[in-house]
Amino acid sequence: MSHFSSKDSSLDNLLRRDPRTEWIARNRLHPLHSSVVSAGQGEVRGSSGLLRKNPHVIGFIGPNGIKRIDRANLSSAGLNSKKRTGEAKETQRPLHIVENPDAYIMVVADMIGGRLTSHDKDILGLAHQLVAEGNQNTAVVLVCFGESKETQFDLAGVDRLIHLSADEFEGFAPEVRVAALIQIETQYRPEHWLFPDSVHGGSDLASRLAAKLGERPAAQAWQVTASTTTSRGASGSQDIRRETPRILMLMEECANAIEDTRHQVLPLDLSEEFIVPSGSCLLDKGQIEVDSNAVPLAEAEFILSAGNGIHNWDQFHSAAAALGATEGASRVAVDDGFMPRSRQVGASGTWVTARVYLAVGISGAIQHMQGIGQCDKVVAINTDAGCDMVKRADLAVIADSEAILEELTKLAQQYSLSKSQEEKSDAA
Amino acid sequence: MLPNINVVSLVSVGRHPQSGRARRAEQDGRAVELGLNLAGNTLTVVHAGNAQEPVLRQYAGMGLPSLTVLAQESDCDALPALVSFLKDKHIDVVLTGVRAESGESSGMLPYLLAEQLGWPLVPRVAEILNIKEGEAEVLLALPRGQRRAVIVKLPFIASVDNAAQEARQTAFGPGLRADFKVLTLERVVDEAASQWQINIAKPRPKRLKVVKAKTAADRMKAATAKPVGGGGKIMKDETAAEKAQAIFDLLLEEKVVR
Amino acid sequence: MMLDWLPPTLIGVLLVLAGIGAVRRMNLWRAGQAEKVDILAGLLAMPKRYLHDLHHVVDRDKYISRTHVATGGGFVLAMVLVVFVHLFGIDSKILAWALLAALVMMFCGALFVYKRRLNPPSRLSKGPWMRLPKSLLTFSITFFVLTLPAAGVLPEGFGGWLLTLVLSALILMSLSEMLFGMTWGGPMKHAFAGALHLALHRRPERFGGGRSTGLKPAVLGETSHGVAKPTDFKWNQLLGFDACVQCGRCEAVCPAFAAGQPLNPKKLIQDMVVGFAGGTDENYAGSPYPNVEVGNAKGAPNQIITDGLIHPDTLWSCTTCRACVEECPMMIEHVDAIVDMRRFLTLEKGDTPNKGAQVLENIIATDNPNGYSPASRTHWTADQNLNLMKDVKQADVLFWVSDGAFDMRSQRILRAFVKLMKAANVDVAILGDEELDSGDVARRLGDDATFQSLAKRNLATLSKYQFNKIVTTDPHAFHCLKNEYGDFGSDALQNVEVLHHTTFLNQLVKDGRLQLDTFKGGKVTYHDPCYLGRYNGEYEAPRELLASLGIEVAEMERSGYRSRCCGGGGGAPITDIPSERRIADMRMEDVISTGADMVAVGCQQCTAMLEGVVEPRPVVKDIAEILAGQLIDRQSIEETH
Ligand SMILES: Cc1cc2nc3c(=O)[nH]c(=O)nc-3n(C[C@H](O)[C@H](O)[C@H](O)COP(=O)(O)OP(=O)(O)OC[C@H]3O[C@@H](n4cnc5c(N)ncnc54)[C@H](O)[C@@H]3O)c2cc1C
Ligand code: SF4
Ligand code: SF4
Ligand code: SF4
Repeated sequence: MSHFSSKDSSLDNLLRRDPRTEWIARNRLHPLHSSVVSAGQGEVRGSSGLLRKNPHVIGFIGPNGIKRIDRANLSSAGLNSKKRTGEAKETQRPLHIVENPDAYIMVVADMIGGRLTSHDKDILGLAHQLVAEGNQNTAVVLVCFGESKETQFDLAGVDRLIHLSADEFEGFAPEVRVAALIQIETQYRPEHWLFPDSVHGGSDLASRLAAKLGERPAAQAWQVTASTTTSRGASGSQDIRRETPRILMLMEECANAIEDTRHQVLPLDLSEEFIVPSGSCLLDKGQIEVDSNAVPLAEAEFILSAGNGIHNWDQFHSAAAALGATEGASRVAVDDGFMPRSRQVGASGTWVTARVYLAVGISGAIQHMQGIGQCDKVVAINTDAGCDMVKRADLAVIADSEAILEELTKLAQQYSLSKSQEEKSDAA
Repeated sequence: MLPNINVVSLVSVGRHPQSGRARRAEQDGRAVELGLNLAGNTLTVVHAGNAQEPVLRQYAGMGLPSLTVLAQESDCDALPALVSFLKDKHIDVVLTGVRAESGESSGMLPYLLAEQLGWPLVPRVAEILNIKEGEAEVLLALPRGQRRAVIVKLPFIASVDNAAQEARQTAFGPGLRADFKVLTLERVVDEAASQWQINIAKPRPKRLKVVKAKTAADRMKAATAKPVGGGGKIMKDETAAEKAQAIFDLLLEEKVVR
Repeated sequence: MMLDWLPPTLIGVLLVLAGIGAVRRMNLWRAGQAEKVDILAGLLAMPKRYLHDLHHVVDRDKYISRTHVATGGGFVLAMVLVVFVHLFGIDSKILAWALLAALVMMFCGALFVYKRRLNPPSRLSKGPWMRLPKSLLTFSITFFVLTLPAAGVLPEGFGGWLLTLVLSALILMSLSEMLFGMTWGGPMKHAFAGALHLALHRRPERFGGGRSTGLKPAVLGETSHGVAKPTDFKWNQLLGFDACVQCGRCEAVCPAFAAGQPLNPKKLIQDMVVGFAGGTDENYAGSPYPNVEVGNAKGAPNQIITDGLIHPDTLWSCTTCRACVEECPMMIEHVDAIVDMRRFLTLEKGDTPNKGAQVLENIIATDNPNGYSPASRTHWTADQNLNLMKDVKQADVLFWVSDGAFDMRSQRILRAFVKLMKAANVDVAILGDEELDSGDVARRLGDDATFQSLAKRNLATLSKYQFNKIVTTDPHAFHCLKNEYGDFGSDALQNVEVLHHTTFLNQLVKDGRLQLDTFKGGKVTYHDPCYLGRYNGEYEAPRELLASLGIEVAEMERSGYRSRCCGGGGGAPITDIPSERRIADMRMEDVISTGADMVAVGCQQCTAMLEGVVEPRPVVKDIAEILAGQLIDRQSIEETH
């Protein structure tokens, strides 16, 4: 939300120079020098203020391909970030420094959309808990594949970064990725390998690595100390306690994300050139665009559901399309022939598990409610404030469905417009 | 159905999430369903464990003429038996669930099989589109109903996702009459697992949403905001635009509108 | 030219042909499975069954009952006398006059049949059935004329050979219908098969005012389960199908038919006949299954029924409401046949439509149809302070809670009933988590294996405890406990009274154990649940209870034994076969047409179905809820005094 509104404010997008910080950055003897330099890693700007993609902190590759160390630190993100105004309000966190680490803990992140997920951050937090318990001079290393848009590795607890961004790591490339992990394993012999236990590739990669290394991992781990690990077993019905293994697949909220420190985000290299393994048996043909309305109801994450209180069906369908929602319906809407049977939600239809269920003109009969028992958030649009759907809803709006759907469609269209503009300006 | 494809589906004893009772496992059932659609009657269904387990009849009731059981005790590791059963059999496709519903539920079995047999593995398969010329085109299930197409060389192992076609109904009669082929292969006791402490799962504390207010204004907002939970918010008298905005904000907050 | 020999010869030949036909027909029935029947006793009881039981049903339509007595009685008598007078040539004036009298009676009856057929209601079959009154008239007139000489009214040889020839032609026409047709599949078949069906009925307990509604247990563990082919029916079931007169009374009351689901009980029975006799349904001249064309169904004795004869949706449309069985003058058992065929689909083919598979899987894994945690069965009692049998071991009344325990709406009924029992100081206990689903849904969906497993486990639990009565608010569970659990060789329910809560509450009210205020709400009507009424004959207790509140029930046109099902039985809401309208909507229209503000019911499933009708509509309340609302709290009265 706040993210959205701050984007709106054009003031924040202005580039402003800060002569004092620039001066500190130039002066390596200044007490605040290092903190200024390492603020806002990942997003590195050239002297003109142009964005340069460079994960390395201490320098960047110049136009002639030679790595340059920017002694004047003019490119440091802390100086010319467009987010500067926002960050200036924050108190600077102390920097956690690991020099010449004795050991490593590898965290392999999902990085959905090129950014750390909250799940990834929890695991980085856990990695630091493990460090705190054992040898303090251990570096938490983030291994990430593919393109990165993350700008706050430092705040998430990344001491060292191995960023494998070559093309062959993009998309679905578990074989190549695991080969890289094995190379890392041989070179650094990490204490632990931590993976998010997720459907985004985390558990797949972890399992592959474990199988290759012949290590027995713990899956669905949620309580981990240096010595013991508790993980869920038997489809979540049991807790298994055992000695903490080297490879862990961790559940969400297994630890708190880092909140009080900044970290160095120093690049870590592979000593040898990574060679793509030959003879791959898997060929990625890419993601298939599945239209939100073609998603099976049971799998849908966001459902816009219509009942007897919908009178303008064209509008309903276009609202669903604008919002990118999967369409659902009450039995009455199906019986009356406005929606196909496959879209019926409820006892005699589909039991859905959507994160958000937006019920428009549905009264909330028991049989309908049975079908949405597992939905996270229910939103109701209804003219009757006393109906059961309103009672169940996390947010209920008492109004005519047509009026609200019209406004919602508008909002959705505006939003996607502003997003596409932002993307264009991002790309520039 | 594809001709001349050797398909094996591996099945385990599931666990009903509510009653905790043994049942046909959700994903394994789908693995059998997918197998039946690929290979029809020539599908081989294998279970490593107790041949007397009644749940196996539920798998057989999907219309399997027979079911192969690699007999072993409950404390044994299924892997060695399965590996020795599968290797040198000219098998093209092995289907498993992603994660078992009982036992360790680590989901490692297909990976270990793949490693030991030296076959590729495709995880979370939703559909196998076709198999020809030594290759299969499969669709992997991604979150939010999305799919990824992947081509994989035969023979391969696929773990079957919940997005795959639902297992057909199991029928009592055929299940009762199916023939069980019981084989006794090597049995290896899972020593490591015997060291574990296993308890009934403790409920996990829900993480509190700590408001980290960065400015005084934020702190003020956090302090005066209506607490979440304990009944929803009802909007009556606002304008349509305000109401719609509130809904839209929630959609953004839940990250369902992107 | 003397043609006197011609009429007797014709009669003789047709009798012989009829005999051959009868043997062939019987062989068709005998292709069915063995079933033990007391043949002699049945045959001896047959006239009484006809005159009493069958006639009792027919008599609901006075017009046709009188017509049938005249026509049928006249014909049977006339035919016997024809044999004596004309075939054996016994020369007796008395016989001849008797024959004339019988023929007149038959003629009068046939006239009424004729009249009914002038503009027949849609439920009646047309085709050959339209010809029948003419054949009946021809028969009576022909033999009347033929008998006149024997009676001495006309001289012998009157009319000469020409008349004899004409009469012979008419004899051939009418006797072909009446004798040949009787055993070779004409409309008159119903008389022959019907008589034997009455004699050899699979449920002889139904005669003499008895009731037999429990399904027969499936034999488990054989090479196949349920009825796949016509020959998998018991032989006397096949015989029963043959007895159908295509009167369409079943069709007229069938809720699924009225809702436009592809089911018509009359057509179903006719298709069964097509099945065991072989052939197609192209000669069927009645109403089709809604939206299904007639003429494409093919069947043979050893052909799988659902492969070309009947679409499975037809079988899954039935709510097992028994309205058809109740109305059938031939006492044919539609529901038995339908469930028999469902058993095959579920137990052998694993083909229960829609939510069926999931519901059965849930029942198997959790002992309740919605897959709730078995440990949450008693959550509703948290504030009820109810004894558990596990703790008390014995009680006067065992309250069978049923799966309503998991459902918030049904819990309101349960709580109301508990409140009433507490007010009446009933010594009551429940089984708590030990109770399992009664198996009703599994059984009606054809999964007798699961039903039997539940029944046996429930009986084992029941046998651990002592109680005099078992009372339930769920008519479906009531029916299972009372009429179906008896087949599993347990004495857990011996000497135990199984009661529906309305019956039990009625006893309490009559005994003065409940103080109730008069009801001052609006107009009230009452919906008879099929599993309470038709299945168990309880029509009075609910009405008496309502009367005790001063409520005068505004009866619906279809009430009592003719009550229209709400659509909730037989797993129909689970298989949910598409229809033109919802059965519950039609029932609600029945309610609305009485002008009632509230419909009282005695079943949580009826409540759910009727409340599923879109508002505005009358309020739906269980009788227990209505009573609980009118309860005068004794304590508070004592306190004020
Ligand atoms: C056995 C059985 C199974 C069933 N299974 C299912 C099932 O699987 N799924 C299912 O959905 N139902 C099922 N039902 C039906 C269920 O009981 C309800 O009848 C149905 O859900 C009601 O649908 P509805 O809410 O769309 O219609 P209604 O109950 O008519 O509700 C319409 C709502 O829209 C509101 N409204 C009207 N106009 C407007 C407007 N202009 N703007 C905003 N709001 C408006 C009204 O206030 C009302 O709350 C089942 C019923 C039975 C008996
Ligand atoms: S089955 Fe019975 S009620 Fe139906 S048509 Fe035949 S005889 Fe009449
Ligand atoms: S039992 Fe009821 S629904 Fe079934 S056929 Fe008979 S009348 Fe129709
Ligand atoms: S729910 Fe009610 S009306 Fe319907 S079948 Fe059951 S008892 Fe009959």
